[in-house]
Amino acid sequence: MTPSSRTLARGPVWPLFVAVAFAAVALTALVLIENQKLLGAALAITAAFCFCAARFGGVAATEVAASENPWLLRGLITVASLAVIFVLRDDNFGLLMLATVLIYATICLGLTVQMGYAGLTNFAAAAFAGTGGYTAAMLGQQGGLPDALVLVCGGLVAVFIGSLLILPVLRTRGHYGALTTMAFGVMFNVFLDANDFFGGPQGLKLPGINLFGWDFTNDIHIFGLVLSSYVNYVILTGILTALAMIFVGLLDRSWVGVWFDVVRLDETAASVFGLKIAYWKVLAFTIGNFLAGLMGAVYAKMTGFIAPANFTFGDSLVMVSIVILGGIGNRWGVLPAALIVVLLPEKLQFIQEYRLIFYAVLVIAILTMRPDGLVARRVRKLRAEASA
Amino acid sequence: MGMIGQHLLNGLMQGTIYGLVAMGFTIFFGVMNVIKFSHGDVLTLGAFGGLVAVWAANALGLSVPLQFIVALCVAMALTAVVGAGISHFLIMPLRNAPPLNMLLMTMMVGTAIREAIRLFFPNGTNPQRFPELLPAGGFNIGPSFFRTDAIILIIAGAASIGAVYWIINHSKFGLAMRAVAEDTETARVMGINFGRIIPLTFALGSITAGFAGMIYALYYSEINYSMGLLLAVIGFTAAIVGGLGNIWGAIIGGYLFAGLQTFVVAAMPSMSDYKNVFAFVLIIVLITWRPTGLLAERGSERV
Amino acid sequence: MGTITKRGLAALAVASVLPLAFGSFSAAFAKDKVKIAFVGPLTGAISPHGIGGRNSAELAVKLMNAEPNTKYEYELVVLDDECKPNVGVQVVTKIASDRSIIAAIPHYCSATAIATVDIFNRFKMPMVVWAAVLPEITYAKKYPEVHRVSGILIGQNRIGAQFMKARGYKKFVSFADSTDYGKSMNKYFTQFTLENGSEILGSFSVPPDQQDLSAELTKIKELNPEVIYFGGLTPLGARLRTQMAKFGINAQLEGNSGIMGDAFVNAAGPELAEGTLTFFDSPPLSKMPGGKMFSDAYKAAGYSEPPEAYGPFAYVATRLVMETIEKVGPDRAKVTADLGDVKDRPSIVGPVTFDDHGQNITPLTTSYVVQDGKWVVWEESEYVSGKRKLKNLP
Repeated sequence: MTPSSRTLARGPVWPLFVAVAFAAVALTALVLIENQKLLGAALAITAAFCFCAARFGGVAATEVAASENPWLLRGLITVASLAVIFVLRDDNFGLLMLATVLIYATICLGLTVQMGYAGLTNFAAAAFAGTGGYTAAMLGQQGGLPDALVLVCGGLVAVFIGSLLILPVLRTRGHYGALTTMAFGVMFNVFLDANDFFGGPQGLKLPGINLFGWDFTNDIHIFGLVLSSYVNYVILTGILTALAMIFVGLLDRSWVGVWFDVVRLDETAASVFGLKIAYWKVLAFTIGNFLAGLMGAVYAKMTGFIAPANFTFGDSLVMVSIVILGGIGNRWGVLPAALIVVLLPEKLQFIQEYRLIFYAVLVIAILTMRPDGLVARRVRKLRAEASA
Repeated sequence: MGMIGQHLLNGLMQGTIYGLVAMGFTIFFGVMNVIKFSHGDVLTLGAFGGLVAVWAANALGLSVPLQFIVALCVAMALTAVVGAGISHFLIMPLRNAPPLNMLLMTMMVGTAIREAIRLFFPNGTNPQRFPELLPAGGFNIGPSFFRTDAIILIIAGAASIGAVYWIINHSKFGLAMRAVAEDTETARVMGINFGRIIPLTFALGSITAGFAGMIYALYYSEINYSMGLLLAVIGFTAAIVGGLGNIWGAIIGGYLFAGLQTFVVAAMPSMSDYKNVFAFVLIIVLITWRPTGLLAERGSERV
Repeated sequence: MGTITKRGLAALAVASVLPLAFGSFSAAFAKDKVKIAFVGPLTGAISPHGIGGRNSAELAVKLMNAEPNTKYEYELVVLDDECKPNVGVQVVTKIASDRSIIAAIPHYCSATAIATVDIFNRFKMPMVVWAAVLPEITYAKKYPEVHRVSGILIGQNRIGAQFMKARGYKKFVSFADSTDYGKSMNKYFTQFTLENGSEILGSFSVPPDQQDLSAELTKIKELNPEVIYFGGLTPLGARLRTQMAKFGINAQLEGNSGIMGDAFVNAAGPELAEGTLTFFDSPPLSKMPGGKMFSDAYKAAGYSEPPEAYGPFAYVATRLVMETIEKVGPDRAKVTADLGDVKDRPSIVGPVTFDDHGQNITPLTTSYVVQDGKWVVWEESEYVSGKRKLKNLP
């Protein structure tokens, strides 16, 4: 134990170092390892480590340390991320997958605000991401607009399209809300398929990102090292994910988060307190859709190609399943869940046509064993909140 | 529009299938507050079971009517067992989890069933021909062609809807089911065997899937591993639009959806690409207008 | 090219027994290992084609490795693109950035291939498309890395339209799926049919997973065409044929390469499939030198799934890639350069010649008709001799 000198109540910080270092190593290993047996071993070790950490109070210690040293945590994560990027620097595929994981995670942070905080149901996240992607593609064809604005426009158009759905979303709840958004998601896809203006089922090509004169498609030459061009995307998506994490965290810890809780848990009570329920729901819906649209635009630019088949109802389901597997309402949960959901099918290529059934059975197993998700939602400690 | 009678008949047939599927959704929801998305794939399983039964019966040299009966019994028995099994091993343990978890779980169960059929049924990815067991042919009224088998199937479908309605509202089992649906705790106190009623209810709902699967197979003479997915989406939609937990709502929703699809193609054939866009836009409008379904469920909120 | 010689076949038989007898003895005279990649849809509704293609590519590698005089030992890396462009981009990035993989045999689905050609170009990885048929794959840009053994769908539609004109058909209805494939098929069908002065009474487009076609068919019955043209894949095609019969529509069905294969006949049943026409870019295997060897070897290898229509193309593409590597060595740039020069290379699907876009321009488009539950070359069918008749012949 190395007690911090300033206050007596402080816990040790070393679990934080261990946790971040472990996460970085596990992440790198998971991305790099191609051999099936090694991968299985790495997964087993990771699971065992997590289990032991949870069993012997390591997780709790890490949480205490993290909440007491937020800036240390952020610094450690930055250092660890740079280390991971350095190790993966010329592994194009690994970096592409990493960026994809980060994009999914950020979209799911938006979903966390919608579904976890405000209690809305959104089964059309892929459609909103697709809206952003198509916006980027169409604006790219026109040309003239700098890419930073194009990406933001992706988010704004998604918000605009989402606002068409506001009325049904406000009026419906639960399964009825699920149907509205599901219908929208399916409709979005059919419309793009039928329509020739947006490229039809063949899709559209679009160039990579060029941010303030920095061309993302070029390899980076730095200190005599050559870094893959995908490092650009990993850094960009990493920064966006970090900002979204911080933003969503602040949201949750502020009064807004408390209002969201009230709106989600008891609408009647909320209206008794004079809360405008519609206002908070619209806010959550807007935040989520903006994140989806923004990251959809980044995704489209990164892969250089979009087609309706990228944004199907099935993809929306994948995003919802990330939120649920991670533990609905917990922003940290989406990171491991996104990693598993995005990376696993890719790592399972060796079982070829049996991938999907294996994946389905695995999700069933996780749901049965951890009904609250990998990282369960924390009960709000109001006293701590108030003093924070 | 000389074919209006024909379109009406087409819509009626599709609506019967959709309605039957939607009815299953509504039964599960009514009793357990569960959306069981694997319902469509259980239907597929029933149809494939029926196909194997027909092959076997044919190999044994049974007559066509006997083949038909064997296939129907196998399909319904198979779906009943699978439905009860899913409820007992997967849904019951999760019944206190958030509804979304349950939705994801049942979707994954559906995926597993679907993939299993695709991988383990011989040549399972390709569509399979289902033998014609009902009298072929039909008769013309004006320009419309009325298929004999379609008429038989519509009547059978309507009869099965009636039978389920009777079971739920007039049988002892139905009474117990409704009691559990209304208030599980009280029902338990009153001596209703909760642990038995739930699997039986799921068996009943799944039997309707098996029946719908057979209707489907006989009407289209072709089945494939993925047919249940779209039917589940449509059945779910129909059940919700009609109002979850209300059997008549599900039936109305089913016919409504079929009517919508048929109408767009019949009225604007050049826009047939967009028919699902129209259908879903209308669904969104309907659900905005009646946020708890056309026939609102009893008890204000369940979700 | 010594596609599959008898010796090769014997060697395969020996090779499959050897490991049993000597364990890993073969490692003793190890050659340099060379990796090549196969990409196709292994899950989802179109997976039979992907799996058939994979088996065929695997067979090509096995046979090549069994030949004693090769310089390298080949290893096939198999990846599933799920027929989705985004997944395609992922897996192609994976193989293209893996320097140990020299070349690729990618894609059944056109939208996927269109999405990935840029990546092949960017990483300078040579590839030979085995089955996708949209023209844009090779013709949208001029990438030296991109080649394709399968024909483009323009050719089969041109020949189909000429064929139907020669029979005297005048009134058509087009029925296509709403994917890029169906849309493109419909586009060229419409173009060539109108050029021939025929009439198209209506065009229908439905999602490939739509089950109930009754609304469309009722409309088609009203239009009363002589011919229904179908642009799509087997599942929808079989559904269309089955439901046409149920509605008593007695039109001639004109298919395309998407329904070629036994699966269509099995799903529709031999009676209903009878007389269905199709235009496909390869003569039957039995007609081609080495074709019978392929069928026999495929059977001998014990695959439970059939090779499907494009399996032979996958075999040819894989074979072509390996022959090139044998010639110039496992070097991406050299393989790319050498593939560009392929001319009149005999293969089991006909001679292969790549134009300056890497497109095989010599597909032997052949007309087929279903007769007694089998796809038969039109010229050899009983329909030519007049013993049987197509429907609605004017």
